[in-house]
Amino acid sequence: MTAPRPAVWNPPPIALRLGDTLAEGWRNLRAQGRRSALALLGIVIGTAAIIAMLNSGHMAQRAALKLFAKLGVDMLQIQAASTGAAPAQLSRAAIEALPRHDRAVLQAVPLAIGRSAVRAHGLTADLATLAAPPALGALARLPIAAGRALRAIDDCTLATVLGAGAARALSAPAGAIAPGDTVLIGQYGYTVIGVLAPVAIETLDPVDYNLAALLPPGCAARVIPGGGPNALLVRLRDGAQGDAVGQRLIARFAAPGLSLTLLDARTILRTMQQQRAIQSRMLTAIGAVSLLVGGIGVMNVMLMSVMERRREIGLRAAIGATPADIGLLFLVEAMLLSAAGGVIGAALGGGIAYAIARGAGWTFALAPWTLALGPGAAGTIGLVFGLYPAIGAAGLAPIEALRAD
Amino acid sequence: MGVVVLELADVSKVYRQAERVVPVLQDISFSVARGELCALVGPSGSGKTSLLNLIGLLDRPSAGTLAIDGARVTDCSAAAAARLRNRLIGFVFQSFHLLPRLTAWQNVALPLQYRGVPRARQRAQAEAMLARLGLADRSTHLPGQLSGGQNQRVAIARALIGSPRLLLADEPTGSLDSATGREVMALLAALHAELGLTIVIVTHDQQVAAACPRRIALRDGRLAGSADE
Ligand SMILES: Nc1ncnc2c1ncn2[C@@H]1O[C@H](COP(=O)(O)OP(=O)(O)OP(=O)(O)O)[C@@H](O)[C@H]1O
Ligand SMILES: [Mg+2]
Repeated sequence: MTAPRPAVWNPPPIALRLGDTLAEGWRNLRAQGRRSALALLGIVIGTAAIIAMLNSGHMAQRAALKLFAKLGVDMLQIQAASTGAAPAQLSRAAIEALPRHDRAVLQAVPLAIGRSAVRAHGLTADLATLAAPPALGALARLPIAAGRALRAIDDCTLATVLGAGAARALSAPAGAIAPGDTVLIGQYGYTVIGVLAPVAIETLDPVDYNLAALLPPGCAARVIPGGGPNALLVRLRDGAQGDAVGQRLIARFAAPGLSLTLLDARTILRTMQQQRAIQSRMLTAIGAVSLLVGGIGVMNVMLMSVMERRREIGLRAAIGATPADIGLLFLVEAMLLSAAGGVIGAALGGGIAYAIARGAGWTFALAPWTLALGPGAAGTIGLVFGLYPAIGAAGLAPIEALRAD
Repeated sequence: MGVVVLELADVSKVYRQAERVVPVLQDISFSVARGELCALVGPSGSGKTSLLNLIGLLDRPSAGTLAIDGARVTDCSAAAAARLRNRLIGFVFQSFHLLPRLTAWQNVALPLQYRGVPRARQRAQAEAMLARLGLADRSTHLPGQLSGGQNQRVAIARALIGSPRLLLADEPTGSLDSATGREVMALLAALHAELGLTIVIVTHDQQVAAACPRRIALRDGRLAGSADE
């Protein structure tokens, strides 16, 4: 018998069969119910951890940068404290000469910081007093709400600019503090020449401007012990090494009886980033291990499913399913199963990110791409771990499968 | 004899069982013409199911060749064999082999799915086929909600939906009571008469065998006789 072979019949377009396969896979998963749900736990925890990690990292980054939004990251602050009885004093001339002596320094602003009880309208507020040259207003971008800022001509006058909270604290119900009013700082009556709008406080701000009285630097000794600068704010040239410059400045200002503290924006940021990196490495490890465990769970469920459904596999083969069709059915089921876990995990991860944001006081924001990543990564896990059971199902001999009980 | 649908030439089958070679079928040659209704009979263990599996392209002969519609089908790939089964062969099993989670019409439509028939057409065709077999009002029932006879009719509908060249039934009445079994046999006989379907039925039942115009008898894996009436 040497008859010709029958013409090989063209298989139907894969897209058509994929639609049926997806529908069937979904039906089968729903039928498996609880067992599928258990296998999903690992996938859910894994995707949740990774999504929480990515989003909290994202939010922490934004929150950290916000701490340096006004002043920027090319900033240093040095504060001097006294170790003896005399108030800490730095040389104003040495500070003003810094940009000429150190190439890395763009601008150096001397600050005299104190605290005083401030009185007006029979009200008292405990406020920070900050005597600084007018340059500070531009550097720290202090917004004037009423009146005007301090100028060079105010040098030794009894003029002050109040922070928004300070002005509110000193305002009588009858009338708010306004430019022209007089407030008592220590023993001296100061004329309010301006009031600041509320400002967000950043890491390198020397005082909380909202609860401060700004004074001209000239005769600050009236209310701030010593009267001279006890801190400085330094703007660095682009790309200068903050910690190196900081050490140089510390050495320059070091004196007996003085203890100097350096705040360097970049170092603070780096420390924050390092802490965050540790956290995110931990979350990534948890996520990866959970996904691995989840993948093995999915593989287990699929292997059991193949075992239990051997008769079905045999029947499908008998009526025309090719090994590829059968493999595809189980692969699609594994992927659907994992992707479902990924969707739940993404939602959970978003929830965890929200909780972290609430706890840390960050503004909650989700990066949308991370949500797509959840089901995507989980589906890939399903693909990888579903491959082995699917190949097993595809390789079953039809008559053996049909005979199974 | 009319147009030959199925032709076997010197077909043998051995199973290998741990070193031992078990001959199950030896030098089987016969042919079946279009429109024949054959009973495949023989004592238990004589190789009836093994032979039917070879004819149905579920298994491969160890030697010899098989042709369906004059085309040699013995040594094609697993995927090609699956497609040939889908196109040429309808199976009816003793235990129905219906998928328990699918409704009657979904079970009937399965072969169409593997042909890539669009889903809307699958349902229409499956329901039409169920209606022809008197199950119009059962199309959305699950197998568990149907009687044995009804389930076997659903299975027959599934076997017929793809308009096969050859209907293979392995003890189709084996798990039915005798009255229901007779009904199912009457249905197969009616389909044979009506559609001119070529049918091979494996059976132990003398009455069923006697009702078939042709009987092929197996004994110990060899043809023991082929009787035409
Ligand atoms: N996979 C297998 N491996 C080894 N031997 C097998 C295998 N399948 C069948 N056999 C043997 O082949 C012989 C024929 O079996 P087969 O199932 O074809 O018989 P049968 O005529 O259908 O019997 P019954 O009427 O009981 O269904 C038996 O001896 C059986 O044990
Ligand atoms: Mg048998």
